[in-house]
Amino acid sequence: MSAAPANVEFKPGSYKTDLKPVWCPGCGDFGVLNALYRAMAKLQIEPWNTVILSGIGCSSRLPGYVTTYGFNGVHGRALTLATGVKVARPELTVIAVGGDGDGLAIGGNHFFHSCRRNLDVTYILMDNEIYGLTKGQVAPTTPTGDKTKSTYWGNPEPCVDPCELAISNGATWVGRGFAGDMKTLAELTAAALSHHGFSFLNVMSPCVTFRGDGQFKELKEKLQYVPEDHDPTKRASAIAYTREKDVLTTGVLYKVETPSMVDRLDSIKERAAAEGPTPSIQEILTTFFPSF
Amino acid sequence: MPRRDLTIAMVGSGGDGVVTMGDMVAQAGAAEGLHVMKVEAYGPQIRGGESSCTVRVSADPIFAQGDEVQVLVVFNWADFARFRGEIICSEDAVVLYEATDETPHEEIDLGPVQEVRWVPVPFIQLAKESAGTTLAKNIVTLGLLTELFSLPKEPIERAITQKFSVKKAAVLEANLKGFAAGVEHAAQIEEEASGKRLQYAAGEPMLLMSGNEASAVGALHAGCRFFAGYPITPSSEILHFLSEWMPKMGGYLVQTEDELSAIGAVIGGSFAGVKSMTATSGPGLALMTEMLGLASLAEIPVVIIDVQRGGPSTGLPTKSEQSDLWQALWGSHGDAPRVVLAPSDVEDCFHATVAAFNIAEESQMPVIVLSDQFIAQRSETLSMIDLDHEVVGRQVPSAGDLRGYKRYKETKSGVSPMSWPGMKGGEYQTNGLEHTEDGSPTSMYLVHEKMNAKRYRKLRVVRDKYSTFKRYGAENADLGVICWGSSKGPVKEAVLRANGRGDRVAAFVPQLLYPFPYYEFQEFLKSVHEVIVVELSYSAQFYKYLRTFLDLPEGHTYVYKRSGGKNLTVGEVEDKINKVLEMSALRREVLV
Repeated sequence: MSAAPANVEFKPGSYKTDLKPVWCPGCGDFGVLNALYRAMAKLQIEPWNTVILSGIGCSSRLPGYVTTYGFNGVHGRALTLATGVKVARPELTVIAVGGDGDGLAIGGNHFFHSCRRNLDVTYILMDNEIYGLTKGQVAPTTPTGDKTKSTYWGNPEPCVDPCELAISNGATWVGRGFAGDMKTLAELTAAALSHHGFSFLNVMSPCVTFRGDGQFKELKEKLQYVPEDHDPTKRASAIAYTREKDVLTTGVLYKVETPSMVDRLDSIKERAAAEGPTPSIQEILTTFFPSF
Repeated sequence: MPRRDLTIAMVGSGGDGVVTMGDMVAQAGAAEGLHVMKVEAYGPQIRGGESSCTVRVSADPIFAQGDEVQVLVVFNWADFARFRGEIICSEDAVVLYEATDETPHEEIDLGPVQEVRWVPVPFIQLAKESAGTTLAKNIVTLGLLTELFSLPKEPIERAITQKFSVKKAAVLEANLKGFAAGVEHAAQIEEEASGKRLQYAAGEPMLLMSGNEASAVGALHAGCRFFAGYPITPSSEILHFLSEWMPKMGGYLVQTEDELSAIGAVIGGSFAGVKSMTATSGPGLALMTEMLGLASLAEIPVVIIDVQRGGPSTGLPTKSEQSDLWQALWGSHGDAPRVVLAPSDVEDCFHATVAAFNIAEESQMPVIVLSDQFIAQRSETLSMIDLDHEVVGRQVPSAGDLRGYKRYKETKSGVSPMSWPGMKGGEYQTNGLEHTEDGSPTSMYLVHEKMNAKRYRKLRVVRDKYSTFKRYGAENADLGVICWGSSKGPVKEAVLRANGRGDRVAAFVPQLLYPFPYYEFQEFLKSVHEVIVVELSYSAQFYKYLRTFLDLPEGHTYVYKRSGGKNLTVGEVEDKINKVLEMSALRREVLV
């Protein structure tokens, strides 16, 4: 991302659009949105050089509330759209956002591959452990046994930890935040945006409507921070913070530097360019004459 | 009597090298300025299955593969049996077969043919004796064919030298010995080739390309600088070709994890302002259909090449069919305008792809190019492709437009100036939700109606500017053949032959399928008396599509349709033309 000219200063409020969020009062996604405004202001991100993409779900409405270029796509495919934007225009700042159903159920395949490729995108997942927009069905992060609209007898399936998935699949920056802890969340968002490579920020974002008031309170009680001596470059120590039950550890769990997807594609382009100047179409066609 | 046009089919198992053999004949033909068409067919096996290669070489222009082969080479009759009904011998054809294969002749189905010249050849033995390995069987055969049928000998030797010079000197030497042994063996069976020798005057070298390659080069010519795709037969050569050339052109290519991701990435790339494309086949297009709707609603230019194969489901993945038509035209949730084009030969794959980009950019809409396996994977000779195309980009907002910018501003044509990231003042949100002029989501009926009208209005511009078609034959005709896509080749050849006999027959082949080129069709219908619609779709998708827009002449319209899996032949089109002309004549007699 590029620094703003000296005469322009973006404040968190500068990124706010006129559109009023459709979210329920008390929804955790307000916290994520505000943290994003703050992080962008901290980094002085130019809205016209930034694209926020999403799939479908409550949280996927977020691009409409930020003054950047925005794309509210189809269910599960935010990262596919983000791949195209970033690869076609590597100089842009690209952010993908969405919920746990969008990113881990229908879009799970793209999540895995974006991690593996170390795609230069920040992916913020608003994890409320439920499907909100379709009004309360079980999600991949819903704890086992929980009763939802689609699990009358309780959720029969084990749930996943998104951070564990990201680390094991090759994401190079993995953090966890809580929508009710604005200060830390804004810092984490800024750190994710500053990372070179795929940065994955999982935010516990309570759903007051379908998970009840208790979810917020419970998360707040479990909240703790990664200790200062945590070494985020060690995969094993990062993994240790996933699948927690009694606590919710927030902070930067994992961070390493490896070549990103754009780095690798650019190096291919350099190798191709080293073979000679850009060919004309006429020259390409000529290669189809018999070569002997 | 020598021939100016010769079709040779070669059949064997994977590893027998029949495709290499066909390649060398085709390359040598192109080098000599001959007209060549080469078609390959395989079983579904990855390795070791049956494979066949048919090469037609001609001193005059050709538009179809040869219906019947004058020369057949069979290394193994069991492999040949798997192509039953697909390789048909001409009367008096020369059948060269492995001498040690003792399958009785009466068990072999060469098609409805009275007599052929059975010629046993000890291919295996010749290869062992001359080259020291049975691997050289195909090169021995090449020597034999070259000598017997007067194929361009010197270019074929150069092709062999080039192919094997990358290997050890001994390998090249062994193959050259094999070639010489084949040439020598020809003397023993020389009289069997009488009347089948090729006669031609060498001309300027020709390009030898496949439709997939032509599509890929067309995309680069049109300015495509981002490609995302997922491998699927028979489209993968587009991905392969661009994986080499896209970076050389300064663009990017990604092989995605599935077709959903491929179309998503392409929509993302185009949203970001870069001309973007994907290529797939029927099953892949099915997976892309949800996001085809997104591109249509969000008004994002994208180009999708669908190289059709036999379907549904996995179907006949290595063979051609024209049965994705309805999927391309109507495959949609909601009312989702898109444009559908069909190239009709290898060169047209280039032109249709350029047109697809122009249309996509001008109308901000998804454009599907319906190619098929027959044109996509065959090799064909071309003289240099005309590159004088207009290449257009999308309409971008003016400085005035950027003040209070409305991405989906109501306009007369329906096309609104489109900004892309990096344009200050052009920021907007697009989405898969219905939206107002500034892009804000809405579920209001009035807005939905207005926006549907805006999106569909854009099709008029496309129809008025891009109703490209080809018309062949008599100006006023007793009979007009209507077909699309790869059926054009055999239809054109059949129509030109009918004209040569003095029959007044014409053909009409639209490149633009949707929006429907109504006026062009009407003009054609006015100029003909009887109509035959020809297509390779069991359920006659094209005929039914025509009926949604046209009143085809009642009592004077005939349909010739069948499943794909075997390419359309000139002979079957000729047969239908003759039948209809005959019926038409009978009817006239009654009327008088």
